[in-house]
Amino acid sequence: MFEQVEDFHRPASVREAVRLLESGKGRARIVAGGTDLVVDGDSTVRALIDITHSGIAYIRKRGGSCAIGAATTMAELEESRIIRGLGGGILARAAATCGSIQIRGVATVGGNLANGSPAADLVTPLLVLDAVVVVADAKGRRKLPIAEYLAVRGARAMRQSLLVEVTVPRPLGRRCGWSFQKLGRTALDISVVNVAAGLQVDAAGRIQWARLALGAVAPTAIRAGATEKNLRGRGLDAEAVAEAAEGVMREVSPITDLRASATYRREMCRVLTRRALVECAAQAGCAI
Amino acid sequence: MTTMQLRVTVNREPRKWSIAPGDLLLDVLRREGFFGVKRGCEKGECGSCTVLVDGRAVNSCLMFAAKVEGCEVLTIEGLAEGDRLDPIQGAFLDHGAAQCGFCTPGMILAAKALLDKNPHPNEAEVREAMAGVLCRCTGYIKPVEAVLAAAKQPAKRATRKRQPAGVVR
Amino acid sequence: MSGRKVVGSNVRKVEGHKLVTGAPAFTDDIEMQGMLYGKILPSPHAHARIRRIDTRKAQTLAGVHAVLTYKDVPRVPHTTAGQAWPEPSPYDTYLLDSKVRFVGDRVAAVAAESRAIAEKALRLIEVEYEVLPAVIDMELAMAPGAPVIHDEPDSTKIYDRSHNIAGYILREIGSVEQGFRESDYVVEREFRTHRQQHTPLEPHITICWLDPNGRLVIRTSSQVPYHSRRQVAMILQIPVSRVHVIKPRIGGGFGGKQEMLLEDICGALALRSRRPVKMEFTREEEFYMARSRHPQILRLKMGVKADGTLLANQMTVLATTGAYGSHANTVQGNTGSKVLPLYRTPHMRFECHVVYTNMPVAGAFRGYGCPQGFFAQESLVDEIANHLGMDPVEFHLKNAIRLGDIDRLSAQLGEGREGLPRVIRSCGLPECIRRGAEAIEWEKKRQAPALGGHLKRGVGMSCSMQGSGIAGVDWASAFLKMNEDGAFFLQVGASDVGGGADTVLSQIAAESLGVTLDKIVITSGDTDTTPFDVGAYASSTTIISGGAVKKAAEKVRAQVLSLASQMLETPVEKLEWGNNQVFTVCECRKSVTMAEIAMQAMYTEKLQIMDGASHFNTDSPPPFCATFAEVEVDTETGQVRVLHLATAVDPGTAVNPMQSEGQVEGAVTQGMGYALTEELLLDGAGRPLNPNFLDYKIFSAKDMPKLTTILVETDEPLGPFGAKSISEVPINGPAPAIANAIYHAVGVRIRKLPIRPEDVLRALCDKERELREEGVVIAK
Repeated sequence: MFEQVEDFHRPASVREAVRLLESGKGRARIVAGGTDLVVDGDSTVRALIDITHSGIAYIRKRGGSCAIGAATTMAELEESRIIRGLGGGILARAAATCGSIQIRGVATVGGNLANGSPAADLVTPLLVLDAVVVVADAKGRRKLPIAEYLAVRGARAMRQSLLVEVTVPRPLGRRCGWSFQKLGRTALDISVVNVAAGLQVDAAGRIQWARLALGAVAPTAIRAGATEKNLRGRGLDAEAVAEAAEGVMREVSPITDLRASATYRREMCRVLTRRALVECAAQAGCAI
Repeated sequence: MTTMQLRVTVNREPRKWSIAPGDLLLDVLRREGFFGVKRGCEKGECGSCTVLVDGRAVNSCLMFAAKVEGCEVLTIEGLAEGDRLDPIQGAFLDHGAAQCGFCTPGMILAAKALLDKNPHPNEAEVREAMAGVLCRCTGYIKPVEAVLAAAKQPAKRATRKRQPAGVVR
Repeated sequence: MSGRKVVGSNVRKVEGHKLVTGAPAFTDDIEMQGMLYGKILPSPHAHARIRRIDTRKAQTLAGVHAVLTYKDVPRVPHTTAGQAWPEPSPYDTYLLDSKVRFVGDRVAAVAAESRAIAEKALRLIEVEYEVLPAVIDMELAMAPGAPVIHDEPDSTKIYDRSHNIAGYILREIGSVEQGFRESDYVVEREFRTHRQQHTPLEPHITICWLDPNGRLVIRTSSQVPYHSRRQVAMILQIPVSRVHVIKPRIGGGFGGKQEMLLEDICGALALRSRRPVKMEFTREEEFYMARSRHPQILRLKMGVKADGTLLANQMTVLATTGAYGSHANTVQGNTGSKVLPLYRTPHMRFECHVVYTNMPVAGAFRGYGCPQGFFAQESLVDEIANHLGMDPVEFHLKNAIRLGDIDRLSAQLGEGREGLPRVIRSCGLPECIRRGAEAIEWEKKRQAPALGGHLKRGVGMSCSMQGSGIAGVDWASAFLKMNEDGAFFLQVGASDVGGGADTVLSQIAAESLGVTLDKIVITSGDTDTTPFDVGAYASSTTIISGGAVKKAAEKVRAQVLSLASQMLETPVEKLEWGNNQVFTVCECRKSVTMAEIAMQAMYTEKLQIMDGASHFNTDSPPPFCATFAEVEVDTETGQVRVLHLATAVDPGTAVNPMQSEGQVEGAVTQGMGYALTEELLLDGAGRPLNPNFLDYKIFSAKDMPKLTTILVETDEPLGPFGAKSISEVPINGPAPAIANAIYHAVGVRIRKLPIRPEDVLRALCDKERELREEGVVIAK
């Protein structure tokens, strides 16, 4: 598969990695865990750039945020106390569903984002956590809100850039609730549908803010903005939840593929959204 | 075809191999005679190719060999010491956990990675550890039983203390 | 059983050490000097003629040593089915042909110095296809004007090629019309089953080379070394004795390797290049270029009296064998002959059309036609029992075949020839039903009130039977010789595919010879050094190969006793044997060890103690199985979770109970996958959509429910030490038991497999709509 590869680099810095990417003239590929790259088997690759020693594997608090290096593995996310304490632990929970232990030990958050699958399990929690993605290229580093990153990820302009960090603002405030729901065909599966949710209520049980992200039901994972808006200010009760669950169905555009039909996926958006909001409510102290 | 040198410890022995930059670890290991590492799907889905790299179970079919530079790799061939089987191997024999035997090396190594980190797992934890090795013969019943039984045994020989499982880079 | 020392014990597998240490024991675990890599160029079209094929560029590529097309090889019609000669499958396959009949069919083959070069060579082969209209849907295969898939005149044994009918079966006992007239309740339903793939963890792999004597050696992962030898010899037009087939350890077969799939083309490349050649399927190729289970549409009509007595049972099947007819008649024959006679119905009728389609080829797969048939029959029986207000357990006990019964339908449906009537000489089914019901807590759970909320639980059951070897067709032989240390070399043609045959056969030999298990050294599956065996299929190994082993061991024991008698100066009738010795029964208890006897034979008498025997049965005693499932249905998502699956099996004597349990556990896991998650999907052009483990879902360790396995031993007169078989029958149980449990839980019947969450959800919605239309208020 990769008989034509001429060089395997292990740059010790992001700068070096970016330089190698530039000089590769489109035939160099970033490899972290390799779980997508090797499976894709692209025989045009001539150089591999292993960024797992480039200084971007870390999980640390930085002011009011949590900084996650792009080469952080799913297993590290799962096991990290910081990540488990972040947003009800939904990122850790999602990481735990990303394939077998063998995969999770090497697959990275950067890879999961860069691969661009609409079903990517880390993306929906990161959307709901309002994460920001940091990319580096020859011109330097820039930050992109995750939704923007997802929109431009596949563009030609991004080909010489390296995803180096995912920054997650640490949510503050009491009476927050978070949830991650995933539907698969068997225990280890790519998502047929996944949903992440987060909300905050005030002392009277009124929703201050709500965030809902859905995966595998649109060309990229999306935030259900209209539904979120409708929830704001309402009392968190069964009626609000049912309406929101109905509402998301209008915001998604699922396809029929060999895993599930569009109709089923749309219906599962409703079911998983309701379950997610019920779980959020329980955490926020409102029993539904 | 360009070549590069790979320095890696395999089954406690330092090795220096000449590899191509795009070589995959599964191919290199089998080429070097480690036939216990099996080729089942080449997509990281079946786990027959599982080896331990610095104590972590990985699919060697998805790992570029160059990535294990300086690492410690354990294959099934490195588990027994002479005639003395590892407790997991013995338990697999006692519990009839190997039928065709093709996934057996992968299962045993996945179990070893678990028990080295968590010597007293419960059944759910064992199933989680084994979930990445597919088996068509056993229904996983006896392999899981065997791993739980092996966990109850006192270590039959001193095992080198590992760091909290190092992350494969 | 009392008195037995080795048979009936949970001994460690004799080859277990090799497996847990990863010793190089499988086909691919060898290095050969100068070995080439062989690959097949697969057809991209479901149906096409090769108008032009130009291999010049491929041939001149550096590192390529052989390129073959239909122009380069003999044209010998044959079947790839691993069956006894004359195979009852159509002879409709060619080593390479000028026509391709499914996506993945062979177009050409190359052997090159590396995999990369071989793949590049394939891309350099220029092919001009005349694409033909294809038959994708089996329901259209016989329609007037349908494209004829096998229009070649030299194929034989095809039932009606102009209508794409590979095989046709019609058998009747009594008169079903009369039976339906006399019935108080008649119901007819249609069931649909799908393509399941074996997914052995080791894909098909073969290595061929010429030995120093110029004989073709075939080292291959196969269940049928002897059949493959015969077939390769015929196809390559060399004498059988110039072919040597070696079966190393096999990484799973389940029927997919009861086939000559790569051996002929690999042999042809080895002969052409004069170098060793390895060919293996990638996992993707394994999914659609290897075999899979026959999909069927089954119409089942049953008639009963009000008291639950079954009077008439009529099954009409449309099945497809894919592009070639391997196992076409026999799998479907089994759907009738093993399924309908489970009940003592006076009137039975089985009719089946097996059609060709331009789809992946179907073949043998554990259960061999029974999973399809029992899914239909056991689902319908459950519906009938419910209609009559009868407990399904009671219904089964009332109607199931019993000890002493004669199954006359089998007499009509042998393997391609008139079968033999089957007498039930051992039957533990009632006990299996009782103990399975107990294990699942049937009584309690059938009454249990519905849980509140969206999760609903239910229990369901099914019964099934299989065979143990093919009566009058399957046969085996074994050879034993004694060594100085009192150990015996056992040579059997039998093919251990992982189920423990080597161990079980060693146990039978040890028990018969009166030695401990370590005194048996077994060699199996080598056509040069082991005598004939049909191979591992039809659940024949324990009963038929074991029967041969027992016979051979008894003959050798007679030689041993004769010499011991001389050595102990005691008549043979006054001797006993056991624990590696022979001893007198009188008070003086003189004894002599096996080692002493061996030394005496070899160095004083100058006699090699050795003998062999062949064996077959004229009947096929069925193992019986009762399966009970408890499921939980999520009525919001349609997901079905199996909570507990209890399987009670009557295998006759369990020679190695631990291995027997392992067989059950593996079989029911495949059965659950068949029921719920596995399906090989193809598009409208016959192209595979999910040829990988990502989207062809088999159960992992995390998907497993609680399994209970119960062995209900009986004593079968036709089996060695009373053994029948166990490896196939449990796979028949899960699909209908789960479908019936779903009905109990949520009141919907799903009559197609696999039962996906969408199907359950749709059925629940349909039911809810129907109830609403009837004015029924649904309480939440």
